[in-house]
Amino acid sequence: MKTKATILLLLMALTVRAGDEVFLQAMGKQIGAVYTAQTVDELQGVVNALDRIGQAEKGRWEPLYYGAFGCLMMATREKDAQKKDGYLDQALERVNRGLEISQDNSELLALEGFVHMLRVSVDPGSRGQRFSGMSMKAFNKAIKADPNNPRALSLMAQMQYGTAQFFGSSTSEPCGMAKKALSLFDAVKNDDALAPRWGKEMTESMVKKCNP
Amino acid sequence: MVTRLTIFWFLLSGTALAQTNLRGRVTDAQGNPIPGANILLRGTYDGSSTDNNGAFVFVSSEKGPQILVISAISFKPEEQPVELSGKEVFVSAVLKEAVTELNAVVITAGSFTAGDEDRRTTFKSLDIASTAGATADIAGALNTLPGTQKVGETGRLFVRGGDDNETRTFIDGMVVLDAYSPSAPNTPSRGRFLPFMFKGTSFSTGGYSAEYGQALSSALALDSKDEDETTRTDVGLLSVGADVAHTQAWTKGSAAAKVQYTNLRPYMGLINQQVDWITPPLSTEVSGAVRQRFGDKGLLKFYGNANEANFSLYQHAIADPTGKLPLEVTNRYRYGNLSYQVVLPRDWSVRTGVSYNTSAYDNTLATLAQRERGTALHVKAAFEKTTSSVVIRTGGELIDRDYRSAWTDEQQGTLTQSFHEPITAAFGEADITFSKNFVARAGVRGEYNGLTHNAALDPRLSLARKLGQGQLSLAYGRFRQSPQTQWLRANNQLHAEKAEHWMLSYQLITNSRTFRAEVYYKRYDDLVRFTVPGTLPSAFQPLNIAMDNSGNGYARGAELFWRDNRTFRNVDYWISYSYLDTRREYLYYPTAAVPSFASAHNFSVVYKHFVPKLKTQFGVTWSLASARPYHDPNRPGFLQGRTPNYSDLSANVSYLPTSWMIVHFSCTNLLGYDNIFGYTYATTPDAQGVYAGRAIRQPATRFLFLGIFITLSKNKGINQLPSL
Repeated sequence: MKTKATILLLLMALTVRAGDEVFLQAMGKQIGAVYTAQTVDELQGVVNALDRIGQAEKGRWEPLYYGAFGCLMMATREKDAQKKDGYLDQALERVNRGLEISQDNSELLALEGFVHMLRVSVDPGSRGQRFSGMSMKAFNKAIKADPNNPRALSLMAQMQYGTAQFFGSSTSEPCGMAKKALSLFDAVKNDDALAPRWGKEMTESMVKKCNP
Repeated sequence: MVTRLTIFWFLLSGTALAQTNLRGRVTDAQGNPIPGANILLRGTYDGSSTDNNGAFVFVSSEKGPQILVISAISFKPEEQPVELSGKEVFVSAVLKEAVTELNAVVITAGSFTAGDEDRRTTFKSLDIASTAGATADIAGALNTLPGTQKVGETGRLFVRGGDDNETRTFIDGMVVLDAYSPSAPNTPSRGRFLPFMFKGTSFSTGGYSAEYGQALSSALALDSKDEDETTRTDVGLLSVGADVAHTQAWTKGSAAAKVQYTNLRPYMGLINQQVDWITPPLSTEVSGAVRQRFGDKGLLKFYGNANEANFSLYQHAIADPTGKLPLEVTNRYRYGNLSYQVVLPRDWSVRTGVSYNTSAYDNTLATLAQRERGTALHVKAAFEKTTSSVVIRTGGELIDRDYRSAWTDEQQGTLTQSFHEPITAAFGEADITFSKNFVARAGVRGEYNGLTHNAALDPRLSLARKLGQGQLSLAYGRFRQSPQTQWLRANNQLHAEKAEHWMLSYQLITNSRTFRAEVYYKRYDDLVRFTVPGTLPSAFQPLNIAMDNSGNGYARGAELFWRDNRTFRNVDYWISYSYLDTRREYLYYPTAAVPSFASAHNFSVVYKHFVPKLKTQFGVTWSLASARPYHDPNRPGFLQGRTPNYSDLSANVSYLPTSWMIVHFSCTNLLGYDNIFGYTYATTPDAQGVYAGRAIRQPATRFLFLGIFITLSKNKGINQLPSL
C-alpha cells in the first residue's frame, strides 16, 4: 500500500514536471521562432502561438513578453503609420497584462519603453515630446528594478544618445551606458531558459557609433 | 501491480493515442478570408493560424467536448463548441468586426479636431505656445481656426456670429466665471488660464454634448494634466515679468505650483502706446495643481488659481481732447476645482466635481466707484456606462451664481443691483454605434432656473457616418444661456437666451493631414432687447432701461480647414477660412443689423518650421478679416459704417540652445498695418451738428515679447517644451 502511494506521488510529481517541461519546450520553440521570423506574416504566426500558450498558462508572464516582442518586430517592419500604431497597441496591451502578473518586471518595463520609443518614430514632430518622456520613464523604472538589465540600459542609451546628438551636447553618458550594457550581455549568466537574450547586436552597433 | 501501473500510464497519456484533425476557414461578414487569425482549443496549446485564404488545419490529441476560440486583430473573438473523437472536424467561422477607437467613426460636427493624436483634443499646449501671434494665449491660438471671428480690440473668442459671452470655458468639465483677465476698454484681454497647466484644449463651435449647458455658441473645455510627471523646477524670465514653477512627483501622483508676476510698466515705457496709462497692468498670480491616483481606477485632481490685477488710465473725451477722466480697475480672482473620477465594475465610470469661483472688481471712473462681487458654485456628477455598441452618459449639476454690484457717487449716493441664480440641471445622452461606419448620439438636457422659475428641456442630436476615407457628420441642438451679467443685474426677470444649431460637416484625416468642410445655420431667440432702442451703455455704469427677451437673430456660414504636418519635413501648417452671414435685432438695435463684432470673411495661415541644424523653430501667422460694421451717427441708417479690412502678420522664434533652456521671441504685426476696429462717437453733436468720432486702433502697432525658460530637473532630457 505504502509503495503504491509512493509511486502515485512520484507519478504526480513526474506529471507536474512533465507539464513544466511541455511549457518550456513549447516556449523554447516559439522564442526561437520570434527571434528568427522575418516577415509580418511569420511574426503573426509566432505571436498567435505564444497567445495560445499564454491563454493556457495564465500565471506566466513570458508568453506575454515574447508576444509583445513579436508585435514590436511587426511594427518595425510595417510602413503604414496606422497599422504600425495598431501593432504597438497590441504590444503595449500584452506588456500591461504581463505587468499585472509580474509587477516591476525589468524586462517588461524595458519593452514598454521600447513601445513608446517606436511611437515617436511614427511622427517625431508631434509625438516626440510626449512619448520620449514616457519611454525614458519606463526605462528608468526598468533600470531601477534591475540595474544589470542590459536591454534596459542599451535602449535608454539610445534615447539619450539621440537627445544629446540633437542638442550637440556630450554623448559620453549614453556611450558609457551602452558599453556597460554590452559588458553585461557577456557577464550576466542566466539559468532561466526563458530569459530574454536579444539586444546584443543592437548594443554593439550603438557602441560602434560611439567609437567610430 | 504492473498492469495497474500500465493502466494508469495509459490513462495519463492515453489521449495521445487518438488524434483529431481540425480544419476550417475564417472569413469576415462579407465572406473575405481573414489571414493571420488565431485558432485555439481553450485551455490547451493546440491550435494554428489561418493562411492567406483564411484556412487553417491542426491536429489535437484532446478528447471529448472542447471550445474552439477564433480571434483576429480588429475582429470580435468567437467561440464554437467542438467534439473531438478522432473524426475530422470542420469549422467555418464568420467574425464580426470589432468597433475600436481606431477604426470607428466618431462624432465630430462642431467639435473641432485639428490633430490626430487624441481625437477630442483641438490643441495641445505646445500648439498654442508655438502659434505666432497667439502669444501663448488659448483664445489667440483658437482664433486661427475656422468658426472664429477676429475682434482684435477684445482678444476674445467670437464664434459663428455669437458674441464673446456666448463661449463658455470649462475646466475638467466644471464651469468658469469671467474667463478673461481684466483689460482697459478697447484693449485686448488675455485668457486667465495659461495653456501650460493643461494637457489639452478642446474647442467646440456648436452642437456639443448635453453635458455642457449655459453656453450659447461654443464650449471651450480645458483638461488639466493627469499623467504622472517628473520632479522639476521651471523658471521663466519674460520681458513683461517672471514666473517660477515647481512640480513634485511621487509614485501615484504629483503636485505643481506656479507663481507668476506680470508688470507691463517697463515695456510700456519702452514702446509708445495709444493708451494714456497712469499705471500699466500689473498682476500677480499663484496657481497650483494636485493629482493623486487611487489604485489603478481612481484619480483625484485639484486645480486652483488666485490672481490679483490692477491698472489705471485716463479716458479721453472724444469731443474735447483736453477733457480726461481717470479710470482705475482692481480685480481679485479665485478659482478652485476639485474632481474625482473612478472606474467602477461592470463598465461604469463616475466623474464628480465641485468648483468655486469668485471675482471681485473695484472700479473707479472719476467720482463714480463700483464694487462688484460675483461668485459661482458648481457641483456636478456624471455617470457613464460603456458597452461594445452603446455609451450612456447621465448626470446632474447645480450652478449657483451670486452677484452684487454697488455704485457710489458723491452726488447720487449708492445704488445696488444684484441677483442670485441657482440653476439645477440633469442630462442624459446615449452614443449608439450601429456599425463602425455609423454612430448616433442623442441627448437631452433639462434645466430649472431658480431665479426666473423657468424650466426648459433642450434636445441634442448628432450623427456621423463614414464616407470613403472620411466621414460625414450632422448635428442639431438647442442651447440656452442666462443673459450677460450687465443686463441680468438690471432686470432679474430676464430669462435665458436661446440658440438652435444645425450643422453638416465632412472631415478627412489621413496620416497627419486633416481636411474639414462645414456648413451651419444658427437661429437666435429670446435675446435681450431694450424696449426703447438707444445706444450701448458703458459696462461700468448702472443701467436703468426697460428690457425684455424679444430679440432674435441668425447666423449661417461655411468653413474650410486644412492642416498638414507631413508633406514638408519639419513643417506643420494650417489654413482656415470662414464665411459668416449674420444679423440680429437685440439690445439697443432699432432694427435687425450685422453686429459690430461680425466680419463676413476670416482667413488664417499658420506656418511652423523647425530647423534641426539651428535647433530653432520659426513660426509665422497671417490673419485676414473683412470689414466690420460700426455705427456712424452722422449718416442715416444703423451700423452702416464699414471698417477697413484687418490684416496681421506675426512671427515667432523659439531657440533651444541646450536641452534645458528655451529662448522665445515673438512679434505681432510685422508689417505695421494700422488696423482700425471701429469708431466711437461723442454722445452729443458739436456746434455744427456733427458728432465727433475717433477710431479704435491697436494700443501699439506691434507687441514684442522675449522670454527665457529654464528647466531644472534630474533628468537632463527635459525642457519646458512638453509643458509649453
